[in-house]
Amino acid sequence: MANISTTAKFPDAITPDTNLKSALHKHYLRNQRWGFMWALWTAILWGAWYVPGTALWSEFPYVNIAADQQSLRLAATAVMTWIHAITVFLFLLLWNAVLGKVKDYGRTMVRFKTISKWYALASLCGGPLAIFGSYMAMGFIGPVFAAISSLFYPVIGAVIARLWYKEKISRRAAIGMCIIIFGGMIIYGPGLFGEMNESNPNAWLGYLGGIMSAIGWGTEGAVAARAMDVSDPDVGIHCRFSFEILFWGILILPALALFTELPIAELIINTVTHDKAMLWIVLAAACHAYCYTAFYKSFSLIGVGRGEAIGNLYAVFALIFIAAFTLQFPQWYFVLGLIFTVLGSFVMFSESAESVANLRDVDAPGAY
Amino acid sequence: MKVHQKGYLLLALNKSGTLWDYELIKKTLHEYNETGAFREKTLSIALDELAAAGLISRIEEKLETVGDQLKLRFKYKLSDFGVSRMVDTGLLLPW
Repeated sequence: MANISTTAKFPDAITPDTNLKSALHKHYLRNQRWGFMWALWTAILWGAWYVPGTALWSEFPYVNIAADQQSLRLAATAVMTWIHAITVFLFLLLWNAVLGKVKDYGRTMVRFKTISKWYALASLCGGPLAIFGSYMAMGFIGPVFAAISSLFYPVIGAVIARLWYKEKISRRAAIGMCIIIFGGMIIYGPGLFGEMNESNPNAWLGYLGGIMSAIGWGTEGAVAARAMDVSDPDVGIHCRFSFEILFWGILILPALALFTELPIAELIINTVTHDKAMLWIVLAAACHAYCYTAFYKSFSLIGVGRGEAIGNLYAVFALIFIAAFTLQFPQWYFVLGLIFTVLGSFVMFSESAESVANLRDVDAPGAY
Repeated sequence: MKVHQKGYLLLALNKSGTLWDYELIKKTLHEYNETGAFREKTLSIALDELAAAGLISRIEEKLETVGDQLKLRFKYKLSDFGVSRMVDTGLLLPW
């Protein structure tokens, strides 16, 4: 066994030192590539999720709910989100069984006071706060506004990660993030003019929902990354969905069933007994389970700010998948937005691998 | 119940002061009664994640020839930030 160490002395110091430097660079580059690749998978699967996620509304029992029945639509959203979360949990169980991490899931879940409580908080931010907020934005203003407001979540995530635990956001990463958000606004922006209606008295609820979705998803990343300091990302996402199932199943849905006249039990039974609705839920859950797995895995390698910014490319992939399945092709400005989002991604990826290898400014005052 | 594996990596480093990655991985595999290249790789990624998050620091590196492969090895120690996070998450008691 031959060793080449940075502390060892060699007669011919150039070759071993060069080999070591080259090996170190390759190591950091590989981690950076894996981090960006996981983030890109997040965007692809998030975009793919829109196809079954939207198709579900065309199936019984959801197809019968009129657009103006706001409370029933929100109740239906809660029901489909809960059944969806249970299905995601099963896909994650399969994933962790294959990776041999099911025991570690149990070991992490039981440490609620110190670790898994953060995943519970992440599930509250990403589930009820962000998804509910997004549906408010869709319902009271429109889907384009909802899509645009969600594009800002990486800024929230990066700012919280910076202030809370000193995640390093380089100038290049910040510029890349801004270019990606700008590209997303070009894609969705022109559609916004058709949605804004000054005479709408409930528009403020839509704006509030938009803010909730950006804060919810941004905060989720920062909170989850805090727990992933000391736990595994594959296990972490499994914990997060376990808590989401409990929030909807034990608190929100029973409260809606008990204190309102909304047909919660009927919606649940009609969903699980209807093959086509369940087929779309299973397909959506498969996309969502592995989209979120990739999302969390990217945080631990490239940080919350970069992971969420690359994840924002979902805006591009969603339109590509929708065009592929429905033949509804996007407008010409989609290409312009696409150019900006790809350019922003390359700006982020052009950071040196060594700078991405240390994500935290742990020596900064107030880092811990 | 045993502590989760990433927690064990931190505890092992806290106990030993400094350790090479292969020593840490060997200890962990023994503790959890696991074997195989896949498990080794999983633990190696966990160490990369802990280093990226600033909980552990790389204090030395070397190239080692194992069979016909050249492998990069890292020597790790727990950082002050890592100790603080271990206290926060109940892996260490506050002193």
